[in-house]
Amino acid sequence: MRILIVEDEPDLLASLAQALREEGYAVDTADNGDDGLFNAEGTDYDAIVLDVMLPGMDGWEILRRLRKSKKTPILMLTARDQTRDRVRGLDTGADDYVVKPFDLEEVFARLRAIIRRSHDKTTNLVEIGDVTVDTAARVVSLKRHPVELTAREYTLVEFLALHRGEVVTRTQLYEHLFDENESSLSNLLDVHVSNVRKKLGAEFIVTRRGHGYCIE
Amino acid sequence: MIPKSIKWRLQLWYGLILVAVLVGFGVTAYQLERNRVFRRVDDDLHRRANAVAQSLHRPPRGRPPDAPDQRGFPPPEPFDRENAPGPDGPPTFNLAPPIAALFDTNDASGFYFLIRSLRPGHAEIARSANAPKDAGTQFPEPPARPQDAETGPPPGDISGDDRGSARGEIPGEPPQPVMRGSCRELMLLTPLGESVLVGKNVSPELTELRRSALNLSAIGGVILFIGLAGGRVLVGRALRPISDISHTAAKIAAGDLSQRINSAGTGSELGQLAAVLNATFARLETAFAQQKQFASDAAHELRTPVSVILTQTQTALTRERDAASYRQTVEACQRAAQRMRKLIESLLELARFDAGQEALKRLDFDLSATVADCVELVQPLAEERRVKISAELKPLRITGDSERLAQVVTNLLTNAIQFNRPDGEARVKLEAREGLAVLEISDTGQGIAPDDLPHVFERFYRADKSRTGAGNSGLGLAICKAIVEAHSGVIEVSSGEKAGTTFTVRLPLAI
Repeated sequence: MRILIVEDEPDLLASLAQALREEGYAVDTADNGDDGLFNAEGTDYDAIVLDVMLPGMDGWEILRRLRKSKKTPILMLTARDQTRDRVRGLDTGADDYVVKPFDLEEVFARLRAIIRRSHDKTTNLVEIGDVTVDTAARVVSLKRHPVELTAREYTLVEFLALHRGEVVTRTQLYEHLFDENESSLSNLLDVHVSNVRKKLGAEFIVTRRGHGYCIE
Repeated sequence: MIPKSIKWRLQLWYGLILVAVLVGFGVTAYQLERNRVFRRVDDDLHRRANAVAQSLHRPPRGRPPDAPDQRGFPPPEPFDRENAPGPDGPPTFNLAPPIAALFDTNDASGFYFLIRSLRPGHAEIARSANAPKDAGTQFPEPPARPQDAETGPPPGDISGDDRGSARGEIPGEPPQPVMRGSCRELMLLTPLGESVLVGKNVSPELTELRRSALNLSAIGGVILFIGLAGGRVLVGRALRPISDISHTAAKIAAGDLSQRINSAGTGSELGQLAAVLNATFARLETAFAQQKQFASDAAHELRTPVSVILTQTQTALTRERDAASYRQTVEACQRAAQRMRKLIESLLELARFDAGQEALKRLDFDLSATVADCVELVQPLAEERRVKISAELKPLRITGDSERLAQVVTNLLTNAIQFNRPDGEARVKLEAREGLAVLEISDTGQGIAPDDLPHVFERFYRADKSRTGAGNSGLGLAICKAIVEAHSGVIEVSSGEKAGTTFTVRLPLAI
């Protein structure tokens, strides 16, 4: 899962990015509105965390412009807590709204929820044969026994599970699993796929030659 | 119990006063009428009594017996006092015809007379046919006179002012008519020993007076009713605006500060009151709105540093970290705390200015020296941003707090540097103009957009949203304005986009 954070307060941006990376997300950051919109339009993020008060273009403007081309789930982050601000945010196309100061746990939960909704899922559990993926607890079980996966392996499984039945290209996987600083390591993906097959069964991830990977 | 409402109390007092006035007026009118009627009756009684009394005594010596007296009465018929009847003797006395004509003996309500001797036994000499049996019983029995009545006071004219002496009792006190039942009677004592009682049945006059009293009462009642009804209407109309005012005030007290009292009749005292109250409410509303906005802005400004601390610490605590990582977290928290401290200090400073509690020194000092110090202070920042500062300062003495004004100058200079372009220039100029010290600080930066320009001195207003960083609370220019205004000065800004911004501070020169 790849997430963009647009926030101008450097200390807040740094700690949010660190926390989300530790949660297993690939995280890109922008500290002003113009860079934020540029990133958001150029990459298919799984979610965007967007501050309202930003230098340059503000959050409302980014939201308005982005909604012309993208349906990326957006979590607004703002110090304004009046109802009319929330209504405005939601009406402009935000998927959810968190008021500063917030608890990280709440931000994580809301992010999971908007990502889940964007994949038309109603629960955190995805069952694929003997394998169960719990996207809230970030745990994958095989025949009800938890399987130890690295954070990157987990996000690979989660992404393919959320796109179950679809062929996911290597480019898509790179875009969603790695942030902008690490996406050039091309054989890294093969290593992760191979590791997951060892742990969950060789047929769990199917390779479609010339297209990509798929969970059926 | 007196009702509490002003309306009822006003009406009650008004009603009481009206009743008192009407009763006073009615009683006075009745008394005047009664006096008039009785005076007429009394005059008649006196006239008749005197006529009768005069007819009883002999004409004074040396006066022709047939000469008419002053009032035109014919000379009285001599009365043979020596042969007057005794206590048991029959009344043989007859009045002279002209005098008898004064008494209408057939009329029950007419005048009547009764003449009695003052000699022991008080024999009745004569009485008119219509005289009641108990006539004169309300008078005290006159003292009996001895036989030799000639030794009494000399005879005189028993009329006019001398009437009192006729009774020979209390000189100067004329005999007064007295009521007996529905009859009014007057008793005269002649010097020669008779009592003359003249009376009249005044029932018709009393009936007339009663009718007058009834009429007066009825008219008074009608006037009272009209007065009370009119008073009620007037009091109601006069007090209507008060109840309007209290209704509106109640709504405002309930929280709706946008309500206003209808002050259509601004000419009246209540209209003025309404106008004053409206002005007060308007000020309250503005103050409330400002206070609300200020509190909301302050809370908003505190949210970001609190978010930093929360996020930083929560992230740090999710797992074990190395010392450098903890150090980073602590430093970020410290920065956030510093920012909150600065914000709180600025807020308190503004609050003190708002409350007029900021103690300013009032000393004469050279403003140019203060400005020069400030220029020196910001020099390192200017060098860092590659901005050249040029100062043109004329020595000027003003009265005030040099530290506070230095704060203003430093703030404006810092802005001029931060909003400048690299290799730009910040100009500082101080001179006397039109009796004021005029300080201009201008930059060669981007300028402020016309939309933002009117708001730059507002609290938490940031023309450039990018400067939400730790150094900028959005209160700097608001504080500058508060300080300058506390010195009876003015601060203004002018800006052209791409042409730089100029802040002008005008302060009164020292006297």
